[in-house]
Amino acid sequence: MTFARGVGQFYPVESPLHALDPRAKVVATAVLVVGLFFVDSAAGFLAAGTVTVALVAASRVPLRPFLGLLRPVVFIVALTFLFQVLFLREGPTIFAWGFLQVHEGGLRLGLLLAARILILVTAAGLLTATTAPVALADGMEDLLSPLKRLRFPAHEVAMMMTIALRFIPTLGEEAEKISRAQAARGADFDSGGLIRRARALVPILIPLTVGAFRRADELAEAMESRGYRGGVGRVRYRELRFRARDAVALLLTFLAAGAAVLL
Amino acid sequence: MRIELEGVRHVYSPGTPFAVEALKGVSLGVEAGEVLGVIGGTGSGKSTLVQHLNLLLAPTAGRVLVDGEDARSVDRADLRRRVGLVFQSPEQALFAPTVEEDVAFAPQRLGLEEEEVRRRVRETLELLGAWHLATRSPFALSGGEKRRVAIAGVLAMGPEVLVLDEPTAGLDPHARSELISLVGRLKASGMTVVFVSHDLDEVAEVADRVCVLEGGEVRAVGPPADVFYADPSMAPETVRVAAALGGACPAVGRPVRYRETLSVLGRVMGAAP
Amino acid sequence: MSGSVLRTLADLTSTFCEHLTYSYPGAAEPALSGVTFEIRAGEYVGVVGPNGGGKSTLVRLLNGLLAADSGRVRLAGLDPATEPFEVRRLVGVLFQNPDNGLVAPFVEDDVAFGLENLGVERAEMRERVREAIASVGLAGYERREPHTLSGGEKQRVALAGLLAVGPEVLLLDEPTAMLDAAGRREVLDRVRELARSRTVLHVTHHLEELFDADRVLVLNGGRLAADTTPGELFSDAELLRENRLVLPTVPRLAAELGLPFCRTPEELAAAVGKARDGSGVEAR
Repeated sequence: MTFARGVGQFYPVESPLHALDPRAKVVATAVLVVGLFFVDSAAGFLAAGTVTVALVAASRVPLRPFLGLLRPVVFIVALTFLFQVLFLREGPTIFAWGFLQVHEGGLRLGLLLAARILILVTAAGLLTATTAPVALADGMEDLLSPLKRLRFPAHEVAMMMTIALRFIPTLGEEAEKISRAQAARGADFDSGGLIRRARALVPILIPLTVGAFRRADELAEAMESRGYRGGVGRVRYRELRFRARDAVALLLTFLAAGAAVLL
Repeated sequence: MRIELEGVRHVYSPGTPFAVEALKGVSLGVEAGEVLGVIGGTGSGKSTLVQHLNLLLAPTAGRVLVDGEDARSVDRADLRRRVGLVFQSPEQALFAPTVEEDVAFAPQRLGLEEEEVRRRVRETLELLGAWHLATRSPFALSGGEKRRVAIAGVLAMGPEVLVLDEPTAGLDPHARSELISLVGRLKASGMTVVFVSHDLDEVAEVADRVCVLEGGEVRAVGPPADVFYADPSMAPETVRVAAALGGACPAVGRPVRYRETLSVLGRVMGAAP
Repeated sequence: MSGSVLRTLADLTSTFCEHLTYSYPGAAEPALSGVTFEIRAGEYVGVVGPNGGGKSTLVRLLNGLLAADSGRVRLAGLDPATEPFEVRRLVGVLFQNPDNGLVAPFVEDDVAFGLENLGVERAEMRERVREAIASVGLAGYERREPHTLSGGEKQRVALAGLLAVGPEVLLLDEPTAMLDAAGRREVLDRVRELARSRTVLHVTHHLEELFDADRVLVLNGGRLAADTTPGELFSDAELLRENRLVLPTVPRLAAELGLPFCRTPEELAAAVGKARDGSGVEAR
């Protein structure tokens, strides 16, 4: 089951965040993310961080999945932090040992950048944890549909997202199964250096890819047989209704982002 | 080679909300040289069970013994060589550019000489009736052909025990019967075979002993006649016919295989077999 | 009435092929060659034969996934090659692989897929989806994800998806091949109910699924080897052998014992008992 439980997967609970229109959530996340890149003060990050933590609490999603989300990023965060701390020589020296110098400027920037990454990942995780994949795809389709006038295939992109979401757990299970079948034939995935291990993945990746193409063919046949012919004349089963609370949520997000940037 | 499971429990994703107890304390022995049929529906734990035979899966509780020794103390790679496991839909794991190379994968992992590898590839492909496919791409073969190549790939390791998990699923009747007769030939050559299936009629044709799994527990184990006649409502068609007749006509006895059943019925009808 | 008038009436409800021929690009032999048959509305027709014999190709020609090289195909007067969208309102296909027929991340969204494609109004969609899910016995499964379902459940979801659209003709392409005994029973029970008011073409290797069929077509090497009734097929050892068909255990025993056709173990036991008493070997 190791491959199947993905990062930032939807956690089905009832919460004010879950109930929001996905379009509002996507836009809000985008605003937060973009805003974050303009925040450059400690106070600003503190504000952004507090808001994020409040949102996590409001989402009623337990802490564990969120921590799981952050685990892969820890490495990058640590690297970024260390890079700034060790190499940025700005401001008064806090600590010196041989030619290792830690300046206040480096420490400050390191912390800010680390905070930015953490908040960014958490915000993205909030989006996927509180929004059902289907709703997310529908939301994206709606948001992108004005681009249809510019020949952008909004419907097709949304359909691809939905199908990808549908098959991620299935492919994960298949990968698990293939890797055990190859292990039964003596394949070793755990030993050797990086290159050795990468090569050991070939007997998993090739069958998985070939299998995925075959699935795609069969799925296309099934879709066509059920009358699929692109977005023309199609009515969506799920309805997205933009309510007052969605507008309020968006407004609050703009304000929070604005405040954080200005601080 | 004798393998024994002692009170084996297996829980998937333990400690999470998705935890599933697939095996709830299974004790079972696999005797050298026998064909053991493992039957049960989906979710009964059959596939989980057989993956413990070569420790592809480790028990959450209980032990696996190989010739009396705890399997954990046995060399893992050697155990995987001696107990070959063919998964369900094994053709999904074919990956090499040619059939020969794919079948050569396992013997090469064993560090055998090139000469020996080639010999084994040829032998196993011939055994499976697939030698003529040697230079073809595995992806261009039919379902039945792919399956034969996949089985050859496991046999090329030279296992003492071969585990087949639903080997006939999705095959047409012709390919099915070929596979059943393969099992017979493997047994004749001294191999132990564990045959997992939900198809009772098939298992009836080849098994020396049968183990019925239900909900992660062993419901019954023993010679096919004992197991099937104890509950004819869940038995192969041959047994159900004989059982339906048995009351009025005890001379029927307890046939299990097709040919036996045919000749018994023929005699009962008064026609000489 | 003259033949041509009969044919015109039949056109409106039946399915037929005339000299249907198709070759896959680059193939040495045609996958289907000169196949001709007619299926009247409401009939349940089985299609059997060895793998590679053209059965799956036939299904795809009937619903327009493939276009014939020569010959005619008509379903209710429509040609699937030129009017595939209209044909697909009338024809629903259940494929072999339970996984690869499910397109959406949730059961109810998948069942709605066909209706979405037809542009059905939303309120009506909800109603039809609800009914379809209930009619295959999966009420309560609406928010389940496909990868958590068993094979039998997945095929039933696919069936619900077809039913929501409401086709008159069902094409079943080995729908139980990848299922275990329980799953097979689940799916076949539903199919049997649905077949009552519809025309069905059922491709399979399991001859026991066709005991109640009106007719059986045997396809071998792309040609129609036989167009007969199940009873005649099951009792024709030559025909069975030539086309690599294997009877299920009970009918096979009956045939080899020289007894009339039997479906169930109980029937066979009764027939054997009768034969025994009749031969006067042992008084009861």
